[in-house]
Amino acid sequence: MNIGFIGFGTMGQPMTEHLLKAGHSLRVWSRRAASADFATALGAVRCESVQDVAVGSEIVCTNVTGSADVDGLATELRSGLAPGAIHLDFSTIAPSAARAIAARHRECGVDFVDAPVSGGGTGARNATLAIMWGGREELGTRLAPIFSVLGKSAVRIGEAGAGQVAKACNQMILVNLIEACAEAAVLANAAGVDFGLVREAMLGGSAGSRALDVFGGRMASRDFAAGVEARLHHKDYALLMDEAARIGAPLPIAAAVWQQLNALIAQGLGTQDTSSLLRVLEVATGRAAD
Amino acid sequence: MNVGFIGLGLMGRPMALHLEKAGHTLHLWARRPESLAPFASVNAKTYATPALVAANADVVITMVADAPDVEKVCLGADGLAAGGKPGLIVVDMSTINPNAARSIGLRLGEKGIAFVDAPVSGGEMGAINAALTIMVGGTQEAFDKVKPLFEKMGKSVTLIGGSGAGQVAKACNQILTGVGVMAVAEAFNFATQSGVDAAKVREALLGGFAYSKVLENHGQRMLDRNFKPGFKAWMHQKDLRIVMEEAHRMGLMLPSAAATAQVFNAIVGSGMGEDDSITALQLLEKISSRQE
Repeated sequence: MNIGFIGFGTMGQPMTEHLLKAGHSLRVWSRRAASADFATALGAVRCESVQDVAVGSEIVCTNVTGSADVDGLATELRSGLAPGAIHLDFSTIAPSAARAIAARHRECGVDFVDAPVSGGGTGARNATLAIMWGGREELGTRLAPIFSVLGKSAVRIGEAGAGQVAKACNQMILVNLIEACAEAAVLANAAGVDFGLVREAMLGGSAGSRALDVFGGRMASRDFAAGVEARLHHKDYALLMDEAARIGAPLPIAAAVWQQLNALIAQGLGTQDTSSLLRVLEVATGRAAD
Repeated sequence: MNVGFIGLGLMGRPMALHLEKAGHTLHLWARRPESLAPFASVNAKTYATPALVAANADVVITMVADAPDVEKVCLGADGLAAGGKPGLIVVDMSTINPNAARSIGLRLGEKGIAFVDAPVSGGEMGAINAALTIMVGGTQEAFDKVKPLFEKMGKSVTLIGGSGAGQVAKACNQILTGVGVMAVAEAFNFATQSGVDAAKVREALLGGFAYSKVLENHGQRMLDRNFKPGFKAWMHQKDLRIVMEEAHRMGLMLPSAAATAQVFNAIVGSGMGEDDSITALQLLEKISSRQE
């Protein structure tokens, strides 16, 4: 298949490699040319503009940071995509932004599919991402060859924008659980008990979760440097809480966790892993910083 | 003085009429022409665009719903900036995001137009009785020029600081009143569920350190089960959303306001947004009682 790809960050780069290795023809563009060198080395065609990527591609994938970035690319892509083409966006953006882009694409006969992913850099490298997508149901067969080389699951949630709603739910459950792990660690530590052992014991029981495994593990080993930058989860919470206010949905726990994330940012920990939520609590309890 | 006024709703209409009664000439534009009807018999001129209002006024007051509306009236096509001469003062009395106010102020400033943010507290009754509390952000010079207008609409007028400072004060006001309404609703629900008369609790507490205007006024309306607005719950939800957006932008922890904002989300989501914000009591009662 002729596929375009734009956005070669932690996620986009391994995803591009998987598509090329699966035998797809890729047209790529990047703001800084060097970011796409790995792709051309594997046989991708370098394009001079976003529009140039769109021309001749059946499906163009984007994987960038925020709603505004996707919207900007979408406008440029529209001038090059042929009717019947698909713009497949893997970024995490506001559901309302996704719906607005889909509506403008539709006027040009182009489909927009929002397909945010969960699994992080590791999931992208191992092609084990969980993909949640929104778009017309009949697009599923055209998207399957892409999804199958990137992830271990791809679930259609509903129409355009629905994938982003699923991603918002995903982020809310994950970060709320990270905060729960941090609170458990504070409780264990204050009681003079080793949180590492508490975690180990809990992993096999009803409180076991990926959050306890991965982020709880980082808390136990006090390894806050690696993993997911907390500022990205903070950004996700702005989207999710804004959506909740827009539709009148009460999210009391998420709202409280959001405030802990705000404090984390204020303490300058935004580029550290989200397990740093533990350190926010430690500041509040007066435990000496490490 | 020639005073432009845009936004002639529940608040704006009585505010504009106070200015006319004080001898000022009104210059008006309205999105919906029927809003102009109450001004047919007073000293007021009407125009086809905000730009024409700006061209004929020394000061233009805006009193609209939210930041995008203020931005459109000020900087959109045929907006105030398109017609205002250098020296014009635009006074926005809407409640909007402080950062949005600063940005609008900067862009009007490039055209030589001064911008003052002057949100109010006191609701429709405060507007009708010219008893509003007005919180002002802007330069001392602009403030001094428009202060006589403020004094015809409010009983308390305070210059808080530079551009955006009025909106910051209003955001603080909404944190205190929002969290305050929740605190009173929680205390009353606690008393009632404990089998104690909430009216007696209120009466006793009014004399102590827990005294507040909210306990006195909003508390009485809760006891009267009078949930008519007043100040509509959906507006309080909007204002708390501004507060939480700013907290996110600056990295500020506001745990009580965040929890309160979620209660207001639930109020709006369950169709009670047109009630007064004290309807929070009804939501607490519903959540903490056995459901059929």
